[in-house]
Amino acid sequence: MAFRPSKRSRRPPESTELKLTPVMNLMVVLIPLLLTSAQFIRLGMIEINLPPAVGAGGTSIGVPKEVEKKLDLSVTITDTGFYLASSLAVALGEKGEGPTIPKTPDGKYNYAELSRQLYEIKQKALGIFTDTNKIVILAAPDIDYQTVVSTMDATRSIKINGKIYSLFPVVSLGATVI
Amino acid sequence: MAFIPSRIKRHVTDTGEAKLNLTSMMDMFTVILLFLLKVYSTEGQLIQPSKSLTLPNSTVEKTPKVALDITASKDWIAVNNKPIVKVKDIMKMNGLIIAPLRKELLNYATEAQRMKELYGHPFSGMVTIQGDKHLPYKVLVRIMATCGKSQYPNMRLLVYQQES
Repeated sequence: MAFRPSKRSRRPPESTELKLTPVMNLMVVLIPLLLTSAQFIRLGMIEINLPPAVGAGGTSIGVPKEVEKKLDLSVTITDTGFYLASSLAVALGEKGEGPTIPKTPDGKYNYAELSRQLYEIKQKALGIFTDTNKIVILAAPDIDYQTVVSTMDATRSIKINGKIYSLFPVVSLGATVI
Repeated sequence: MAFIPSRIKRHVTDTGEAKLNLTSMMDMFTVILLFLLKVYSTEGQLIQPSKSLTLPNSTVEKTPKVALDITASKDWIAVNNKPIVKVKDIMKMNGLIIAPLRKELLNYATEAQRMKELYGHPFSGMVTIQGDKHLPYKVLVRIMATCGKSQYPNMRLLVYQQES
């Protein structure tokens, strides 16, 4: 027969609570530390490609011109809107003069329309020209930096039905006559 | 007359000690901690945007790299936080090249070239431009032209990332 456990040696039940204080200490230290070092504002970077140096009369005579067909696409930002130009033609506005893409009636630049037209140009130019990812952005002297950056965004890619198409990601800035 | 404790309640063993119920708080802390650990980037913020200017917003997705810093706020142009020239003065100047900025950049370039010769540290000619979002284009172009002419042809514009 098994021994019956002694009734006298029974101790009072130990407290079953977790000792949370050290964990709390850890949390209290770690959370402020991570909060201060977390970056909530994400920075980005736009690479600028210098336009290729054009030597004055430096073209070699032996190379025929048909080897490279350049699109030479450029967008000019002015106070009234965007002007698009390429080796095809200067794409004129509907009236035949004025900017290609005028500002919207409330005075804002029409970036969506710019992207859309560039998308069309890209579709036409693919396979014909060699520089179908390059674009030169020019601006009037008083255009502010945010407008230039937004224009770069508009020329970089376009989102159609949730899919992102690359347009002209290699961007260079040109100097207008100042 | 003093309060006489009830005979019936004598067996109640409440010691009167209040205990905090910490479990829910712990749950919360664990969630916050995990979130922060996920957000935390091991690279850290190597590039500190300048306080005196507001960077433009862009949808670009490239992350910045450390390079020589040119800060163009509304008032001053600074190289590595050292003020070089006033924006007002640039407006008055003729031509594309900003002479004081060019001088400073060439100093940095020669220093970097010496580093390259002595220690083999490569010189990339990379420069990060932090411009205020209201900076006029003519100033931006002049800064960039100056960089290009002063052995720093690889330019990057620093922007705030924004969801498209």
